[in-house]
Amino acid sequence: MPIVEFKGVSKIYSSGEHELRALDSVDMTLDEGKMVVILGPSGAGKSTLLNLLGGLDNPSEGKITVCGKDISKLNDNELAEYRAETVGFVFQFYNLIPTLTVYENVKLVSEISKDALDAKEIIDKVGLIDHLKNFPSELSGGEQQRISIARAIAKNPKILLCDEPTGALDSETGVMVLKLLLQMAKDYGKTIVIVTHNQNIAKIADVVIRVKNGKIRSVEEQENPLSADEVEW
Amino acid sequence: MLFRKLIRTAWSYKAQFISMILMITLGMGMFLGFNMEWRTIEYDTGKFFESTNYADFRLYSKDGFTSSELEAIKDIKGVEKATRFLSVNLDLKGEKNKAVALDVSENYTVSTFVATSGSDYDEKKQGFWLSDKFAAANKFKIGDTLTLTFKGEEISGEILGLVKSGEHMICLADTNQLMPDYNSFGFAYTTPAKLESIVKETTEKEIKTELKEKGMPDEMIEKSIGSILTKEAVEKAKDSLFVQINLCSDLSKEDLEEAVKGKLGKTIMVTSKDEHVVYKEAMGEAEEGKTMGSILPVLFLAIAILTMVTTMHRIATKEKLQIGTLKALGFKNRRILIHYTSYGLLIGILGTALGSVLGLFVCKLIMSEDGMMGTYFDMPDWTAAVPAFCYPVMIGTIIFLTLISFLSVKRQLMGTAAETLRPYVPKKMRKSIIEKIKGFNKLGFGTKWNVRDLSRHKSRSAMTLIGIIGCMILMVGGLGMRDTMAGFLDLLDNDISAYTTKVNLNEGADLSESLKLAKEIGGDYESLSGISFGGDTVTLDIVKNDNNLYNIIDKDNNRINLSDEGVYLCLRLQDKASIGDTIEFSPYGSTKTYKAKVIGYNRSIMTESITMTETLAKKLGIKYSITSIYTKTATDKIPTSSIISGKQNKAQLMETFTSFVEIMDTMVFVLVIAAIILGIVVLYNLGIMSYVERYRELATLKVLGFKNRDIGKLLISQNIWLTVIGVLVGLPAGVGVLKWLIVALASEYELKLMLGPLTYFVSILLTFGVSLLVGLMVARKNKKIDMVEALKIAE
Repeated sequence: MPIVEFKGVSKIYSSGEHELRALDSVDMTLDEGKMVVILGPSGAGKSTLLNLLGGLDNPSEGKITVCGKDISKLNDNELAEYRAETVGFVFQFYNLIPTLTVYENVKLVSEISKDALDAKEIIDKVGLIDHLKNFPSELSGGEQQRISIARAIAKNPKILLCDEPTGALDSETGVMVLKLLLQMAKDYGKTIVIVTHNQNIAKIADVVIRVKNGKIRSVEEQENPLSADEVEW
Repeated sequence: MLFRKLIRTAWSYKAQFISMILMITLGMGMFLGFNMEWRTIEYDTGKFFESTNYADFRLYSKDGFTSSELEAIKDIKGVEKATRFLSVNLDLKGEKNKAVALDVSENYTVSTFVATSGSDYDEKKQGFWLSDKFAAANKFKIGDTLTLTFKGEEISGEILGLVKSGEHMICLADTNQLMPDYNSFGFAYTTPAKLESIVKETTEKEIKTELKEKGMPDEMIEKSIGSILTKEAVEKAKDSLFVQINLCSDLSKEDLEEAVKGKLGKTIMVTSKDEHVVYKEAMGEAEEGKTMGSILPVLFLAIAILTMVTTMHRIATKEKLQIGTLKALGFKNRRILIHYTSYGLLIGILGTALGSVLGLFVCKLIMSEDGMMGTYFDMPDWTAAVPAFCYPVMIGTIIFLTLISFLSVKRQLMGTAAETLRPYVPKKMRKSIIEKIKGFNKLGFGTKWNVRDLSRHKSRSAMTLIGIIGCMILMVGGLGMRDTMAGFLDLLDNDISAYTTKVNLNEGADLSESLKLAKEIGGDYESLSGISFGGDTVTLDIVKNDNNLYNIIDKDNNRINLSDEGVYLCLRLQDKASIGDTIEFSPYGSTKTYKAKVIGYNRSIMTESITMTETLAKKLGIKYSITSIYTKTATDKIPTSSIISGKQNKAQLMETFTSFVEIMDTMVFVLVIAAIILGIVVLYNLGIMSYVERYRELATLKVLGFKNRDIGKLLISQNIWLTVIGVLVGLPAGVGVLKWLIVALASEYELKLMLGPLTYFVSILLTFGVSLLVGLMVARKNKKIDMVEALKIAE
């Protein structure tokens, strides 16, 4: 049963007479509970794809259906509701609120999500229960990313969207973060979409979608993905 | 190439640049405008006084001065020029409540006039030179006949010219009047030749009446009048009219008093120009302007400069990468410094230039013929003048702003190019003291976020707070000043003056005749005379006010039931003697000294005075003559009497005060509008700064699913908090500034601080309104947050 469906989706940026097609008539479906990696070089259109899926932007053409709901024509407020209820984001640079503590950063989402999970329980799951009262600037990069994952999970979204989640981390920490992501997705039954240019990360995916020049080049299902521990880069 | 970058960078920070220029313009404009105002008063009135030979000293003698006495005065070493002078208020024939002060400057060397149209002064002519403003208000023109009444007699003459005079630059009929009313009161000059013919005519009539009363037949009277009405008799009558000698001299008052005493062998009342109502009021206005100029506009300029410090520092921080890039490209530090320093220089020059224009506009709004002071001062030239210290302030501001840019960039240039190229790292978040307060953790996330943001960006928060406090001070100060003045007038209208008509009597009017008149029209009365008290000239006010038509009030504005046991000093004299002390004073023209016990203080409207009851004056043996009667009788029902010099109804008098309040209203309006603009500009600038600095955090909230409205609320709530604190601090600070202003203005008026609830309400409402408006303006920007772009940037 597809949780996400893209039909003829394009994103066009125009500046004067010039037109840039960041995504060009993309058709794509993602199944629930799967671990999907979108792979591609810089400028391929993978982040655009993630932004459209995450409701950060509207497509120029085509239709995007998530959990049976067409999100391509939503207005600002409806998109905000969609982001609050359906998707959770994990970014390369964590994007925690520097003036809120670890606990408050995770608890924050309970203000917008009707179905939020217990913040302390999630923080405990990511192994940072001893840092509840710390500010993000008092944590390492890996720890900050773990809190970022906790915050994304705490909203109890259907889909976790991760944009280069290990991009700012060393390989050891990166592996740890990937492991945590997989574990959390499994424990809480989430669909994960990771956008990366790192080929090695693709090895842990159930589905690998390769993107180039705004088009989907291939969709590959992996029957035996590696565990996060086995990934090296 | 760097110049292009300068222009483009300035454009990219246009909100900040425009607001910085606006702030400096507004700060400089208010500072220059208010300071130019008082300097212009000093300069223009000074020039006018000089061109009309305004007297440095006035000598008064009830019996008048003879020509030989004038010669003796002229002989005093240090007396430059002197003239016998006459100024008497006469009614305009056929007009109710219109009067003209008729002046004669005998040798026309002191207290002269300038003609704005018609002929110049000519001692041989017999007509009048009339105040041009009075002429305009009453539709008189050159060639018309002016008819005045003097002691029941008519005096007529042709209007030869329209003039202005330093003696009447502030043309007030009475010391109780605040604003000139050219429709009801003006002045005119005539020549000694005309005076002589008037005196001759009136003396002849007086002699004839006297002889007739004695029973002499008309024929005999006609025959003998020639021998009785000798030149000496006319001269004597004329001498008695010249009760004043006006002179120009550099001598001190004490030296002149001594010299006059030596020459004339008696004590003569000498008043310096500082004591003359025109000079005193003009200088009082200038002083008032100085006081106003030394606090409120300085506050404007200070807020503008301080906000500029914060903004410039933030821009330099934001430009760190660009600075690093230029450095890495091989640009020398000096070149980069010059480039960035020129931003401050540009803002300084533009702001100061525009501020000068605004300053001139503000000054002209107050000090020009069509401006607020146009009715108050009647003078020919209205040239704006700048106080000398304003130039170094202008240059200093430009240098200071340039220095701010220089220091902000210099900080970024420290270290290697690689270090500069590293992005700016915001301060690490640490727990502040507020977080130790019990219950902090129970606050909502928005509240915590805002509290921490405020403590993280202390200078920005402090500047916002200073902006709000400044805005509040300016509003409370401006509106409160208006309240105080309005309350003062209300007090004057209802509590002090319960009369309908004020009847002014001739100087030295016969006491028994005055008392008869007072009894006839049923009123209270007072006697005002100059006395010497502790080396100063003050007014002795002898009052009889059993009917409560003219009241004396205490410092709390309550009526005083005057006691016969002692005297009351006005509040301005309270430092001179305590209650229970015995004071000594002596009337001018007398060697006698009187002693009286101080039993209280009273609030005097305009003059520095000592007040006592008529009973006490009689007990002490003080000779007095009634100067004014206050009655409920309507102005047109007052019987004609030769001792009456003028009548004023209260409504007319209060109208002149209303014009004064209108001036005040305009100044307050300018101040409040400027305060609102300053508030908006300062808060918007800092609001944008806060928005830019939190852009990434706001984008994160948006990505998480917070709606624009929720984020807007967060931003506005921070502004509202700062406003609450600002109002809580600004309100008492505003009252404090107002109190200080009232004390500083005490030499002019004895005011009691009065603040109406509406002032508090309007000040708070406007400040919150400004804060909310700016909050909404900034919050609107939420819609434009580019979530994707913001979240790609590394911290």
